[in-house]
Amino acid sequence: MIFNSIRARLQIWYGLLLLVILAGFGITAYELERGHFLGRINSELDRRANLLADSLHHRGGPGRGPGGGMEGGPDGGPPLEGPPPGAFPDDGPPEERPGGPREFQLPPQAAGMFDASDPNNFYYIIYGHDGGEVRRSTNAPPQPLTLAASTPPGPPPDEPQRPDDRRQPAHRFFVQGDRAEYHLDMPLGGSFVVGCSLAPELLALRLVAVKLTLVGAIILVLGLGGGWWLASRAIRPIDDISAAAAKISAGDLAQRINLADTESELGRLATVLNSTFARLEAAFAQQQQFTSDAAHELRTPVSVMLTQTQLSLSRERSPAEYRQTLETCQRAAQRMRRLIESLLALARLDAGQEAMKRLPFDLATVIRDCADLVQPLAVEKQISVVLEVEPLACTGDSERIAQVITNLLTNAINYNRPQGEVRVTNTLQNGSAIITVRDTGQGISAEDLPRVFERFYRSDKSRTSGGQGLGLSICQAIITAHGGTMEVASEVGVGTTFTVRLPVG
Amino acid sequence: MRLLIVEDEPDLLASMAQAMREEGYAVDTAADGEDGLFKAESVDYDAIILDVMLPEMDGWTVLKKLRATKKTPVLMLTARDQSRDRVKGLDTGADDYVVKPFDLAELFARLRALIRRSANRTTNVLEIGAVVIDTAARTVSLDARPVEITAREYALLEYLALHRGEVVTRATLYEHLFGDDDDTLSNLLDVHVSNLRKKLGHDFISTRRGHGYCIE
Repeated sequence: MIFNSIRARLQIWYGLLLLVILAGFGITAYELERGHFLGRINSELDRRANLLADSLHHRGGPGRGPGGGMEGGPDGGPPLEGPPPGAFPDDGPPEERPGGPREFQLPPQAAGMFDASDPNNFYYIIYGHDGGEVRRSTNAPPQPLTLAASTPPGPPPDEPQRPDDRRQPAHRFFVQGDRAEYHLDMPLGGSFVVGCSLAPELLALRLVAVKLTLVGAIILVLGLGGGWWLASRAIRPIDDISAAAAKISAGDLAQRINLADTESELGRLATVLNSTFARLEAAFAQQQQFTSDAAHELRTPVSVMLTQTQLSLSRERSPAEYRQTLETCQRAAQRMRRLIESLLALARLDAGQEAMKRLPFDLATVIRDCADLVQPLAVEKQISVVLEVEPLACTGDSERIAQVITNLLTNAINYNRPQGEVRVTNTLQNGSAIITVRDTGQGISAEDLPRVFERFYRSDKSRTSGGQGLGLSICQAIITAHGGTMEVASEVGVGTTFTVRLPVG
Repeated sequence: MRLLIVEDEPDLLASMAQAMREEGYAVDTAADGEDGLFKAESVDYDAIILDVMLPEMDGWTVLKKLRATKKTPVLMLTARDQSRDRVKGLDTGADDYVVKPFDLAELFARLRALIRRSANRTTNVLEIGAVVIDTAARTVSLDARPVEITAREYALLEYLALHRGEVVTRATLYEHLFGDDDDTLSNLLDVHVSNLRKKLGHDFISTRRGHGYCIE
């Protein structure tokens, strides 16, 4: 579960990356340190071997066996068992020195180099021309390191260096276990082996390794901790967002994401989400208002029917009373039917299910037909309907357009003053047919004007006008479905003008 | 008992008024808020049925303005049963509310309860000597025997019984027993009183000449 969280995954990758970097760094540091140690040992051994070789040369000199001087160990150990038979690393022919051991003293300078008290415990072995052992220090191990057994050493080359000049000695460097050896082969036979223990260096290296591991671990822990903190900080807005979204999903639509930082990526996301939530809430509120209004509109006719029928049934009535009850109920039922039809029409228009026909028709003819339809109402209310229309070819659903014009005309007549006038015009403007319906009624106040297209909105707040407040909403939905627009302008006491813009094409 | 009904839907107003009249109430009607407020302020009604959605002035405003001067019991008729509306109604000073659409029986019951509460009574039964008046069933009995009584007679009896011990003037009786639409003949009240005395005993209602009537 925890590995599904972004924070944990981020942390794991971050930790792995840090681990790789630290390990690389640590290993490099360790290797550098190791190379440095080995280089130092190499040069130490080199220095000793050469000094040894030099001292023997000086002692024996050319033509004389240096073995003559190799009587005693450098550290005062027992002398060598016998004179090396011609075991001279020198190039000169060995002078025959039969017999017992000779006085052989390392020069003090060289002797100091093989001081047993040195933690490195330097030792030497000297071989003669024939490869036999001539002399060794007491602390020397029984066998010198061989090429096969040796591990490749660090910086110095392990291949014997054989310069062209055969008079130059060749040397090899061996490291094995806790020992390092330096083999110096003299050009004309014989060799020196100088070695030492690596224990102090290995101990130091181990210490370095432990230190590096410790420091690495501390950095890793600090890094992981810091990473967790950073990741938590970066993730926290997401938690806020998801908490707010959860509350909204649970029904609290007024909830908003509250992020202080609106500039970051998450802040911008939160801003976008908040505006989405706001629109959602508004749409929800509108829907709720619509449902509540629809229910309210239905309650009144149902109340009428219930009251009237319960009253009639409470005792025996005369046929005339029963007839009156039935008439009342019929009126209520008609009203409910009109409401249901309007609601269904709106619902279909909203859902885009009401397919608008796209057929050519003449707008002037449609307007004249509508005017004829409302003529009886106009006569009854003593309103004159004036048409200023010209033939105008349009494409669309002529029945629906007629419904809109009839509705506008009926409103204009109903909300007019006695002996008032309704004037209808049509013109072509920028590829749109403009239809205006102007009345000379009481007008609509500025506060009501923006709301006239709202569903169930009635400026007079009463039910006496018989309207349900849905007519203009339906008109607007029809015009919108045609790709047109509908506007209203009004001046209190002067009149109201509805303007419909309908694309001709 | 005299009622005022304020409702703008004509069919609903007519049927409610008729139903209330058949229950024995004197009923006045108003079709908009302004008319309703005017009538409510000028007459001492026993109860007012007030619709919320009204032209000219909505029910809340009528109620608020009326409460500045009168404590007449008001029953609100609301089409919205959201608790917000109920709380608002009760806070504004409505005594009860009924949600549309309603049953007539419920409306009657709530109205009776409202009037009973305003008279500081807790039961529907009034006992005066051997006479028992059941205001829920609108029946009267004498010595445990039911007495036939007309709606108008019952209304007169109930009003006097509710104001037992008080002298009720003829003007008050007229105001509470007859609506604006009733033809009130000056001696109609005397006829009803005389009929009640025949049915319940001559001394049941006493006449205070020059003042009015009283049930001791």
